Amino acid sequence: MAEAETKSIDSASVKMIEKAVRDGVNTAFDRAETMKPCPIGMVGSCCKHCGMGPCRVPLPKGREETPEEKQKRRGLCGATAETIAARNFIRMVAGGAAAHSDHGRGVAELFLAVAKGEAPGYEIKDEQKLLQVALDWGVEIGDRSNQEIAIDIGEIALSEFGKQEGGVLFLRRAPLKRQELWQREGVAPRGIDREIVEIMHRTHIGVDQDYRNLLKQGVRAAIADGWGGSMIATELQDILFGTPAPVLGRINLGVLKRDEVNLIIHGHEPLLSEMIVVAAQEPQMLELAKSKGANGINLAGMCCTANEILMRHGVPLAGNFLQQELALVTGAVDVMVVDIQCIMQSLTTVAECYHTKIITTAAKAKIPGAIHIEFDEHNAMESARAIVKTAIENFPNRGKNIDIPEEQTDLVAGFSHETINYLLGGIFRASYRPLNDNIINGRIRGVAGVVGCNNARVKHNENHVAMVKELIKNDVVVLQTGCSAIACAEAGLMTPEAAAKYAGEGLASVCEAVGIPPVLHLGSCVDNSRILMAATAMVKDGGLGDDISELPVAGAGPEWMSEKAISIGQYFVGSGVFTVFGVNWPTLGSNEVTEFLFKDFEAIYGGMWAFEPDPIKAAHLMIDHIDKKRKALGIDKARERVLYDMAMRRELT
Amino acid sequence: MEYKGKKKKAPVKKEVEVLGETFEKGRPEGEELGGWRQKLESREEKLRYLQTGERYWFDKDWYGSERRKNPA
Ligand code: SF4
Ligand code: SF4
Repeated sequence: MAEAETKSIDSASVKMIEKAVRDGVNTAFDRAETMKPCPIGMVGSCCKHCGMGPCRVPLPKGREETPEEKQKRRGLCGATAETIAARNFIRMVAGGAAAHSDHGRGVAELFLAVAKGEAPGYEIKDEQKLLQVALDWGVEIGDRSNQEIAIDIGEIALSEFGKQEGGVLFLRRAPLKRQELWQREGVAPRGIDREIVEIMHRTHIGVDQDYRNLLKQGVRAAIADGWGGSMIATELQDILFGTPAPVLGRINLGVLKRDEVNLIIHGHEPLLSEMIVVAAQEPQMLELAKSKGANGINLAGMCCTANEILMRHGVPLAGNFLQQELALVTGAVDVMVVDIQCIMQSLTTVAECYHTKIITTAAKAKIPGAIHIEFDEHNAMESARAIVKTAIENFPNRGKNIDIPEEQTDLVAGFSHETINYLLGGIFRASYRPLNDNIINGRIRGVAGVVGCNNARVKHNENHVAMVKELIKNDVVVLQTGCSAIACAEAGLMTPEAAAKYAGEGLASVCEAVGIPPVLHLGSCVDNSRILMAATAMVKDGGLGDDISELPVAGAGPEWMSEKAISIGQYFVGSGVFTVFGVNWPTLGSNEVTEFLFKDFEAIYGGMWAFEPDPIKAAHLMIDHIDKKRKALGIDKARERVLYDMAMRRELT
Repeated sequence: MEYKGKKKKAPVKKEVEVLGETFEKGRPEGEELGGWRQKLESREEKLRYLQTGERYWFDKDWYGSERRKNPA
């Protein structure tokens, strides 16, 4: 096997990795070879929370540690390996929750500006979602205008971040039993920012030094993310830009065009990208493009911004996290515009080898060497036009060294909770009943949420695709977001035809009847909140227990790398979902902390973590968990579907 | 979207009105594909949909598996 083929299962990516080598371009795939992860930090056994450290407290290699050794395994301040691992872990949760929630705050700020008429170009596109959130938050509807309702919603949304007491409002959407559990265990978040700040405080030297207590705060902050910051981002984005509905799109580097201006939108927030979509269609822009010799303007997305504009506009998707540098290696990208999160600083270095311009747009995310065109919500259209113009003007600067791989795949995206509900029941009786019924009768074994990143420490996309194929083969319907969704779409798992090709008989028959793929694309990373809503609707519809922890469901992040993924996993677990991650596990340096997350959590929260780097084995951990839940619900027999002959019937009587 | 009625002959009464087709003719294409939310036009329709379609949260007397006297 050629060297590049060991790095990705995606042939388009392999070609670009090879081209990068030929062009002398250094990418994450090379850096993963030359820089190995620190084995002590990787398992959470290093602390640098004060100036007396860093303190490293590794487990002895290849043998059990003695009690004396364990006694000595401490940082200079006396912090044990347990405290250090737990502190590191919940700081990851804090980082992830902060990223999602600050995104949510940004959306809330724009939302309020739109409601007040201070953000020209934006409007309230989805009145129904506006009314839904108004009902959720007790905002008076009556004869009030959408603007009046939206101002109240915007103000409440913003206050959710900074509030000190009273609890995050969307917690009320959760199953009642779950809400009671959160209250009982003291993990119902009081406000969003407060829980994140409290983690930073409690993990400072000499504060909280009981790993159980630390991990509990990790759950509280993660819930503030999933049922708070992320959910606010999802819901307000839906109101502003429309709740996603099924849309046909195309995916992979082959969506780039040789004869058109290629503008890639990369990052996470749809605030500016929505405007770029509009600007790129303006006649004067198309004229300008023609005058520069281009046949049009081709927008493509990357990472979660891609998911956002794909599911609302069908804008093609160029790739996921590990394809961002590779897109530039095609030599055909005129501009890559970025906002926040998961943007490699190396983009500017890679861009130097070609003609590509990198444009940063967020005041809080600048990169030396990039052009900065700041996104101004009060004048968003102008920023968008400036970006599109820069791309067009850069088109004639393309070099000769262009190679766009032909690979591109069809996919259907846009499965919000609302749309799943509608698809299953129609407009007159939208319902999760058909899903629950098919779970009960065993055609569908269970539901899995497979989410998260790419990780250059493992073969690009391999874990995602292998795990998801194994799940659907075993009749588990899969809900996806983020880069995991992109990976499976590239592998062709997100078309209705994939059901007949890859899914088990039971799942395939349901997919065929409803006309959906066996793997559903629910959106970006913040849209994991849609998975929480889908799980809650399943509980509330009845027949599958009365809490998320009783459902035959499981979660996974097989190629996770970001702190956001850890926060997502932690709120899945805190919501009662068994969640398995791959690649590596950041608390392996402490057996106690790991045991607590993997075993004791189940008794407290009904959900727990697991670590399994082999995606097939991990899929079977999920299936075993699903079967365990089916058994507890008394629906395990339904799956067997034994056909009784006359002799067997006689025996029964 | 309006409910469509359909007149039918009935054995005792001469004629009764029953619920007619609840689907639209033809196949949606392009932007229309999958765009189901646009079918709900007025605010009343949208609120009614929320109470039925999203009844898990918004129907006052239907809590599904969670029917209980005292909310959590
Ligand atoms: S807080 Fe304690 S364990 Fe951490 S670096 Fe300082 S002395 Fe070392
Ligand atoms: S899934 Fe992970 S890598 Fe991909 S955009 Fe989200 S956080 Fe970044």
